[in-house]
Formats: sequence, C-alpha cells, structure tokens
Amino acid sequence: MSYGPAAPPGGAFDPPAGGDWHRVSPRLRWHRRITAVLTALPVALIGAWWVHQGGGALGVVLWLALVAVSCAMAWIVAELAYRSLGYAERAEDLLVTSGVFVRRLVVVPYGRMQLVDVTAGLLERWMGIATVRLHTAAAATDARIPGLPAAEAAQLRDRLAQKGEARSMGL
Amino acid sequence: MNGPYPPPGGPVPGGPPPHGYQPPGYGPAMPPGPPAVPPGYGQMPPARFSAGVHRLHPATALLRAFVFWLIYFVLLGFPLLLTRRGEELVLFAPEAVRRFALVSIPVTVAAVVVGIWGWLALRFWVAGDELVVETGLLRKRRRLIPLSRVQAIDVVRPLMTRLTGLAEVRVEAAGGDRAEICLRYLGRGAAQRLRAELLALAAGLPGHTPEAPEQPFWRVPFGTLFLSLISRLPVAAAGVLFLTALVASLSLLEPGFFSVAVTTLLGLIGSVIAPLVTYGGFTVAISPDGLRLRHGLLETRMQTVPPGRVQAVAIVEPVLWRQRGWARVEATVAGYAGERQALSSVLLPVAPRQVAVALVAQVFPGANVDAVPLLPASAKGLSLDRFAAAGTDDVVFVTRRGLLCRRTEVIAHARAQSVRLTSGPLQRLFGLGTVHVDAPSGPVRVAAIDRDLPEARLIVESTAERARCARAHTRSDPTRWAR
Repeated sequence: MSYGPAAPPGGAFDPPAGGDWHRVSPRLRWHRRITAVLTALPVALIGAWWVHQGGGALGVVLWLALVAVSCAMAWIVAELAYRSLGYAERAEDLLVTSGVFVRRLVVVPYGRMQLVDVTAGLLERWMGIATVRLHTAAAATDARIPGLPAAEAAQLRDRLAQKGEARSMGL
Repeated sequence: MNGPYPPPGGPVPGGPPPHGYQPPGYGPAMPPGPPAVPPGYGQMPPARFSAGVHRLHPATALLRAFVFWLIYFVLLGFPLLLTRRGEELVLFAPEAVRRFALVSIPVTVAAVVVGIWGWLALRFWVAGDELVVETGLLRKRRRLIPLSRVQAIDVVRPLMTRLTGLAEVRVEAAGGDRAEICLRYLGRGAAQRLRAELLALAAGLPGHTPEAPEQPFWRVPFGTLFLSLISRLPVAAAGVLFLTALVASLSLLEPGFFSVAVTTLLGLIGSVIAPLVTYGGFTVAISPDGLRLRHGLLETRMQTVPPGRVQAVAIVEPVLWRQRGWARVEATVAGYAGERQALSSVLLPVAPRQVAVALVAQVFPGANVDAVPLLPASAKGLSLDRFAAAGTDDVVFVTRRGLLCRRTEVIAHARAQSVRLTSGPLQRLFGLGTVHVDAPSGPVRVAAIDRDLPEARLIVESTAERARCARAHTRSDPTRWAR
C-alpha cells in the first residue's frame, strides 16, 4: 500500500523532510528544575516532620534521600524533555513533537486552528519564556509549545493566527 | 427481512440501498415559492419566522403556571389540607379548606404571573444570518446563534406536551456546553416550520423555501430493536444472573439472593427498557438538508443533522450481533456536548451491516467503508486485540479494533482536526506507535494502534496530505451547503 507523496523520513519522530526542528529556549530546563525543587522543598520538609513524629531518624534520612532521588530524576527528565521538544512550520500545517515517556508528534493544519493562546506563569515571566498553545475543535489535539522566548512566542502566535485566518473553514 | 420501508425508496434487503440523493442539488431545482402548509394548519396564515419578532406558543404560559402550581401543591398545598384530629389524619376539614384557599389563591395568581412573565420575556427573531433569542423584561439578555454554525436542529415532543400538541425546538451550535438554544414550547406545526426555515436559511436559501423533501432510508422494526438489546454480552450475563438468583431465592428462600435478583432486574430495565423507549420507532430519512432521525416511544424526538456536520462515525458490532450481521452506527456531532452527546450520538441503533455502511456513505459522500483495504496492526505488540487494523483511501480513514465488540471507526479526511502519533514506553520497546486522527470529543475515537514506527510516520504524513487535499477540494464555504 502506498502512503502518498511524502518521502519516508528516517526515524518516526524526525523533523519533516528538508528541515529541522525549531528548538525552544534552553531556559525551559531551568524552569522545570526550579519548579521541581520548589515542589520538592515543602514535600521534603512536611514529609520529614511527619516521619519524625512517627519516631526514628532513619526514616527521616530515607525520606530525604527519596526526595533527593526524585529531584535528580526530575533534573534529568528536564534535560530529556527539552531535547525532545521541537516544532516545525510547514506550508499548510504545524508539527509539534514532545514527550519523554510517551513520545508524541502532532500535525495541526492551520485551517483547523480555533484559537492560539500564549500563557506565562509567574516563574515563566521572570525567566522570559512563554507557552504557546493551539486549540482545534478536537480536545485531544493538545499542541503545546512550552519554553518559547517571550518575543518569539508572540511572533509565532501572530504568524499562526494569520495563517489560520487565511485558511479557516469553520468546523 | 425485518421491515424496511415499503419498496419505493427503501433499501433493498441484501443489497446496498439506492443512493438517489445528490448533496447540493436542491438550490435551483426548487424555486422559492409560498411556504408549505403542514396539514392541520390550513386555516391560519402560516407565520414566517424569518420576518418579525416571535414568541413561544401562548399555552407555554399556562403550562409553566401549571407546573409551578403542581410543585406548590405537592410540597405545601397537600399538607395544608390535612388536619390531625387525635390519632388520625383528616382530609378536607372545613378549617383546613379555608386555610388552603387562603394560601392557594395568592399562589395561583403568582403562578399565572410567573407563567405570563416568562412567556412575555422570551422573544426570538432572525436577523440577517443570526437567530436572536432575547430573554428578560427588565434586564435583557440576548443570545445570537450564527445560522452558518448550526450543527443540528432537534424537534422534541416530551410526553407531557404530546397531549397538548406542543413541541420543543433545540438549535445546537458548535462551541461548548452552553451553545444550544431551547425554545420550549412552540405549536407542533410552528416548530416544524421554524426548523425548515432555519435549515433553509442556514443552507443559504430564502427562509420561505418549502421544506426539503425527504426520502425514507431505514426503519428499525421493534422486534429487531428488542432482540438486539437483549443479545448483548453484559445483558445476557445479567439475565442469567437474574434467573439464577430468582431460582435460588425461590428454592432456598434466602433473602440475600432475592435482593441480588431485584438489583439485576433494575439493571436490566436500565439497559434494555430505557433504550427501547428512547429508540423505539427509529427511522432514518435522507433529505437535502441533512439526515432526519425520528425516534422515541414516550418522548418523540426528530433530529436533523445538516450535511457536513457529522465529524466521525463508528460502526459497532457486538459479538452476539455478528452472526446475524447486525451493526449499530454512532456518530460524533460537534454541537452535542455532555449529556446530549450520549443521547444523540446514535444514528442507527441496529441494522444489517450493509445498511450501516450505506448510511456512512450518506454521511461521508463517496466513502465505501468495506472497500477500504485494512492492514492489520503489528503482531509484535502486547495487545490481545487481533482485529486491530487500519486503512485509508482518498475519502476516509478507517480503523478497526475490539476483540468482542468490534468497532470500525471512520473519519473523512476533510473533517480531520489534527493527526497525532504517540508512542508509549511499552510500545517503544517494540518499536510501535499509535496514529490518532482527531475529531471533536464524542463517542468516536479514530486510532490506528500498534503500527510499526516508520509506517506510523508514513501514515501521519500521508493522512495530513490527504486531509489537505480534501480540504482544498471542499467548496469554499462548506457551511452553505445549498449554494
């Protein structure tokens, strides 16, 4: 069975033929790590206090070790997630790839975009990055590009909105 | 064969039904003329909804007042009529009647005022391309539904209003849970005309275009519906459990078994009687303004789904149906969300498989599901599902899965929202991935599971390309289907 005109790419999550993934800002790694540490701190303290109430310094040490290991994992995953993330704008659609445990590749035609939004949390704003998210009528689409430099995110949003406007065709 | 429509127009048993209907052909063929007068409405000059401001049927005020009063009576009025005299309760004691009248008269007046207020407060009209519904007398609230966004129009006749000849009109527009307009209640004839006018306007024709003619497609005989409902594995299992528990409780006189029997019986009623009442008398008809579904024993419902509103369909074949060659057709329609989605997702509750396939061909013109070559999923995976397969042609993308209850899910390339490739940790171990072709949320999820990764990427690329071609070939404005 032939699958049409597209040239077969090497790996399933490779960039489209004749191009490369646009990478996002490396600051995304630090955003993830800081978030991980900020969540881990209260968890570690409250957990340690709770274990301490039950008695036993060994428990506290084990607990702290556990939190430290998860932090280290989050550290590595942040790097992997950053490396797995990429997007590519083609003539008619946008490709987004992401995911460490579950690898994902989404192809969203510009004509199907219902809205594009840019969000930036407190930490993200401080680091100068933002998340661009594409919505189609299908909730499953879920095409998010986190960690774009703020200016680039705004440009991308405008470009996508413009392309979507030109090709929009309702539902 | 189990009762299809009388020969003209009905599908020929054993063969594909005739496809007499060409999608756009109704613009020029039917010049705008005087509005069709439904039977029984000959005396009154038929109202045109596309001009002027309209209200609901005046009886709505009375009905609302009556419901209000009924609630009052049950909660407060009836207890007022009771008097305790010593040990016994006496009804209609003179002082109780006086007390009742004293409370009831103001409440009745209030109920009538509330009813009339509600009736006065709701007005609707058609302004250009929009249906405008205004509620409130003091604080006005306007809702606008662009007719080009109408996803479906339902005319519902709940049991209570069947006695009074009233009907409810629901207009569904895409976009969230609150994107529907309920007009309850209109006269039955008026409801039909409003539906026809809105559909004509949505199609880009003048509002007074007569209602499009329809061609019967299939009628589900009651016996078939009942048989199909009881021949499902969970229902059959519950039936066996019920009989066992009944026999055990009668022979052993053990109350525990009896309660099991009662519980299973309630479950059986829920899964057999409820659908039987909902889908009883199910008919499908095809008209230029879309699919028309009629069903319901107590509450009758007439749904109209205009062309191009069905996003994806599934042909479902439970294991016990396959011997008889039966199938059910479910669909995702973007307008229906939440609870209404479950109610309105069935396009055909049971029919021979070839009828189901022909219905899919009506929904997605040019599609022949059975002719699409399906390639089985990779055997390397851990999935037990040996029926999993996927295939595509220029019109539709088809996936099949389900060991017991086989689902064949179909989406037209022109309707695909996005294409996704996912590969979980286990799948990556085997070098596999799943290709999803996304539709708005609904009962249908088109997913080609466990494809070899390089093949999966090829499917993604080709599907994206085919979707692009399909969109390019769709007429410039797909919402105006008659232009």
